[in-house]
Amino acid sequence: MSVRKRIATWLRALFGKTAVERELDEEIRLHLDLETEQHIRAGVPPSEARRRALIAFGGVEATKEAHRDARGVSWLEDGAADVRHALRAFRRSPTLAAAAIITLAVGIGANTAIFSAVNAVILRPLPFPDAGRLVSLGEDNSEFGWRHSQVAPANMLDWQEQVAAFADVAGYVDYGTTATLTSEGEPKLLVSSEVNGNLFAVLGVRAQLGQTLTPAETWDTGSRTAVISDRLWRRQFGADPGVIGRTVELDDHPVEIVGVMPPEFGFPSEQVDVWLPTAWDPAFRAQTFFRRAHWMRAVARLKPGITPADANTQLQTVVRRLQQQYPATNRVMGADMMPLHDAIVGDTRQPLLVLLGAVGLLLVIACANVGNLLLVHAGGRERETALRLALGAGRGRLVRQAFTESLVLSVLGGAAGLALGLWGTRALMSLQPPDMLPVHDLGVDWAVLGYVSLLAVGTGLLFGIAPAVRSGRRLPAEALGEGGRGGGIGSRMRRWGDSLVIAEVALALVLTVAAGLLVRSFRQLQHVAPGFDGTGVLTATLALPAARYDSREEVVNFWDDLVRRAAALPGVNAAAATSNTPLSPAHWSSQFSVAGRAPDDHGSDAVHREVAVGYFPLMRVPLLRGRLFTDRDRAGAPLVVLINNAFARTYFPNEDPIGQRLAFDRVPDSTSIWHTIVGIVGDEHQTTLTREPRVEIIAPAAQDVRRGMTLLVRTSGDPLRLAPSVRRLVAELDPKLALESIATMDAVQAESLATQRFVMTLLLVFAGVGLLLAVVGVYGVMAQVAKGRTREIGIRMALGARASEVRWIVLRHGLRLAGIGLVLGVAGGLAGTRAMRALLYAVSPADPATFFAVPVLLFITAAAASWLPALRASRADPATVLRVE
Amino acid sequence: MQLPSSDVLRGTLDLLVLKTLTLEPMHGWGISQRIQQFSRGVLDVNQGSLYPALQRLELRGWIDSEWRTTENNRRAKYYHLTAAGRRAVGAETESWRRYVTAVEWILGTS
Repeated sequence: MSVRKRIATWLRALFGKTAVERELDEEIRLHLDLETEQHIRAGVPPSEARRRALIAFGGVEATKEAHRDARGVSWLEDGAADVRHALRAFRRSPTLAAAAIITLAVGIGANTAIFSAVNAVILRPLPFPDAGRLVSLGEDNSEFGWRHSQVAPANMLDWQEQVAAFADVAGYVDYGTTATLTSEGEPKLLVSSEVNGNLFAVLGVRAQLGQTLTPAETWDTGSRTAVISDRLWRRQFGADPGVIGRTVELDDHPVEIVGVMPPEFGFPSEQVDVWLPTAWDPAFRAQTFFRRAHWMRAVARLKPGITPADANTQLQTVVRRLQQQYPATNRVMGADMMPLHDAIVGDTRQPLLVLLGAVGLLLVIACANVGNLLLVHAGGRERETALRLALGAGRGRLVRQAFTESLVLSVLGGAAGLALGLWGTRALMSLQPPDMLPVHDLGVDWAVLGYVSLLAVGTGLLFGIAPAVRSGRRLPAEALGEGGRGGGIGSRMRRWGDSLVIAEVALALVLTVAAGLLVRSFRQLQHVAPGFDGTGVLTATLALPAARYDSREEVVNFWDDLVRRAAALPGVNAAAATSNTPLSPAHWSSQFSVAGRAPDDHGSDAVHREVAVGYFPLMRVPLLRGRLFTDRDRAGAPLVVLINNAFARTYFPNEDPIGQRLAFDRVPDSTSIWHTIVGIVGDEHQTTLTREPRVEIIAPAAQDVRRGMTLLVRTSGDPLRLAPSVRRLVAELDPKLALESIATMDAVQAESLATQRFVMTLLLVFAGVGLLLAVVGVYGVMAQVAKGRTREIGIRMALGARASEVRWIVLRHGLRLAGIGLVLGVAGGLAGTRAMRALLYAVSPADPATFFAVPVLLFITAAAASWLPALRASRADPATVLRVE
Repeated sequence: MQLPSSDVLRGTLDLLVLKTLTLEPMHGWGISQRIQQFSRGVLDVNQGSLYPALQRLELRGWIDSEWRTTENNRRAKYYHLTAAGRRAVGAETESWRRYVTAVEWILGTS
C-alpha cells in the first residue's frame, strides 16, 4: 500500500471510522448474500440458506473486531473509539453528565484559584534576576523580643562596608509614607517609599523609561529626583514619555522625574507610586540617632559563590565588632538574615496552605460524588455490559472504556474547572484584603496549567476506579440474572457506594469543623474589647509638609486650629487628634528610663504616642488615676505625660506613678529631658486585637510635636456624612494639603481583622459546598439502596410489614453509614486542625463545642437526606414491585 | 476442516489468499470459494477470518484493493496482488515448504 493510502487509512480509521466500518459492512453483506444465493441455487429454501451462510461465515461481530485489530492502529483507534463511545453515552444521559461535570468543575476550579495564589506567593521566585541571592537583613534585640526588625542606617552602612560576602546592601522604608503632589491640579496624596540610591541596582531591575536612582543619591546631592510607578505614569501623566526630565512639586519641593518603573515592579509593596532617594546629610553618619533609631529595612545581594551560611558568619562577626565599638546603642543589637522571598511572603504562608488543604478535601468529596454518579450510571447499563461480555468483548476493553469515560468527564470537568478557576483567581485578587497577597497578579502560568491537568487526570483515575473495577469483574450470567430483576445494583456496587458515602461524610465533617473553628475564632476576636469606643467616630489622617511648616509653632497652631474648627462643625459632638489611631499597623516606640531608678539593664521599650486635648473622652478611654491633658499643657509649660494601665502595672506595680518622671533615653544623662507622669489611662490595642496592649507613654501634641496626625470627630449619626465637611475644612485651612485617608473608626477596626475575615469566609464557602455535595451523595446512595432492596421491601410489605418498618430499614442503613463517616471525620479532624493553630484566636484546634455541634449537624443532615428515599421506598406498592421481575 | 486462528495458521491463511490472487483479482467471497475449490473441499476456511487477513495483507503492501461493480451490477471490493506481493508469494511458499519439512521430520514421517 502506498504511503499516501496508508496515511489515508489511518486518518479514516481515527476520524472517519464510520466510513471504514461502513465499507466492511458492505463487503460482509455482499459475501453473505452471495453465499446465500449459492445455497439457494443448490435448492435450499431461502431462510435455511441464509442460516447456513451465516454459520459458514462465523461470527460477524468477531470478524469486525478482528478486522479492527488488524488495522494496526489499535490502541490509538480504540482510544478514539472509546472517547466517541463515552460521548455518546453522555449524550444519552445529559443530566448525569452535566451533574458530574459541574461537580468536578467546582472542585477543580476552587483548587485552581487557590493554587494560583499559592503558586504566585509561595512557589514563584521573586521577579528579580538571580533572586535566590537576595537576602533580607534585620536587627534583633533579645531583650525587647525584636526579631528581624527594622535596622538603624548606621549599622546597615557598616554591614555594607565590612561584610565582604555582601556584594551590596541597600535600605528602604516599607511602612506607608506619603508625598503630596501639588503641581498637577488637585493636591494628590501619593504612596511613597524612601530608598537608598543603590536599591534598584541591588534588586537588579531597570526602568522601563528613563533611569533609576544612582548610588550617590543615598546621600544629599543637592538636587531632588524621583522614580515613578507605571500606574502613576498612566493615571497621572497619561503615559506620556515626555514625563522624563519633567519637574513636579512634591511635598512643596521641586522634584525631577528621572524614570518610570515597569508595571510588574512593586517593591516594597504594590501600592508604591513614587520612589524617593533618602538623600541623607553626610553628617548623619556620625550622629547617635542614626545608629539608635531603627526605621529602615535592608536587602543585600550575596556575592556569587558565597553561601548564605558563610555570609551569616561574616555578618555576625561584624555585628559583634559593632557591639563593642558602640556599646551605648549596639550592646544588645544582633542581626539576622533570611531569604528575601521568605521575608516578603512570611505571614501569608499559613493561611494559604490551610486554604489549599481545604480545597483539596473539597476535590476529594467532589470525586467521591462523581464516582457515585458513575456507579449508578453503570448500574443502569448492567445488562448491556453483560451482553457485550457474553458476545466476546474483552474484559480489559471494558475496563479501558470505563476509565475512558471517567477521563473524558474529568477532562471536560477540568476544562470547565480551569475557566471557573480563572474567574475565581481574579475574584480572589480583587476581594482579598489589600496587600494580603504580595503579588502583582495571580496570572495563570505553566505551573497552574500543569497542576490543573494533573488534577483532571488524577480525579478521573480516582473516581474511575470504582466503576471500572466493577465493570470488569461482573460475570455475564450473574449480571444478566440480577439485572433482569429490576432496579439492579449488585452487592459489590453497593459496597462501593457505601464506602464513597462514608468518605464524603467524613471529609465534609473535617471541612465544616475547620470552618466552624475559624468562625468561632473570628467571633472571639470581634468581642475583644479594643479599649476604646470607635462607633460614631470619623478619622482623617494628614501630614503637614516640612517645607511650609518648619517651626513647631506653625504645626501646633495648625492642629489646634483644625481641632477647634472641627469641633464647631455642624453635627460634630467632639473633636481631637492623635499621632496614631489604635489598631493601626505602625507605631513609634521609644526607650525610656524612670527617674531615680538604675538604668534598667533589660532596657525598656514603650509605644510612644502624641494626642491632643480631648482625645480620651472622645474615644471613651477611661481615666484611671490622676488627670488628663488640658490646654495648659503646652510648649513652655512643665512637660507631662500619661501612661497606660499596662505600663503602670509593669513598671509601678506597688507604687503610685503619679508624680514620677520619665525620660526618653535608655541611660539618662545631663541632657535628658524629663517628663512628669500626671495620669493613668485605660489600655488600647495598638496594632491588632490578637496582641495584648503594649506599655505606652502618651505625650501632649502641644509639647511633643508631630506633623502627621489623625483628626478624630465624633458624631451621633453616621460619621461618613461628616467627611465632605471635614475635607472642606482642611482645604480652607490649607488648600495644598491632601488627606491621606478618611474612614470611620469602625471601618479601621474591621480592617484590622480583614485577613481573618477573608480566610474564614473562603473556608465557609468551601465547607458549604462540601456539605452540599455530601448531602447529595448521601441522598443518591440511599436512593440506590432503596431501589436495590425493592424486592426485599416488596416481600416484606406483602407479608404485612408496616410502612414505618420499611422506612426504618432504609433510614438505618443511611444512619449507619453517616455514623461511621462521622467517627472517621472526627478522628481526621482532630488530627488535621492542628495545622490551623496559627490562625485561631482563643480557640483550641480541638474545641469541644465545635467538635460536638458539627457532627450533630451533619448527622441530622444525613438523616434528612436518607429520609426521602426511605419515604419513597415505603410508599412503593408491593404488587407492582414484585411483578417487575 | 476449520482453520483455528493462531499466528502460524494465520500466516497460512495469508499464503492461501496470496496464492489465490496470483491468478486474477477477486473479491472476498470469490477468494473463499476458490480456496474451497482448490483444496478439493478439505479446507473450509472460516469465511469471516478472511477479512482481517485481507486487511493485514493490504497494510503490508502485498495486495491492493478497489471498489468495482460485479457482473450482476453489485458493488464489491476487489483485491489484487502488488509487485511486492508477487515477490512475497514465492518467498512465503518457500518458507512454508521448509516448515512442513521440519514438522514432518519431527513427526517421524518421511
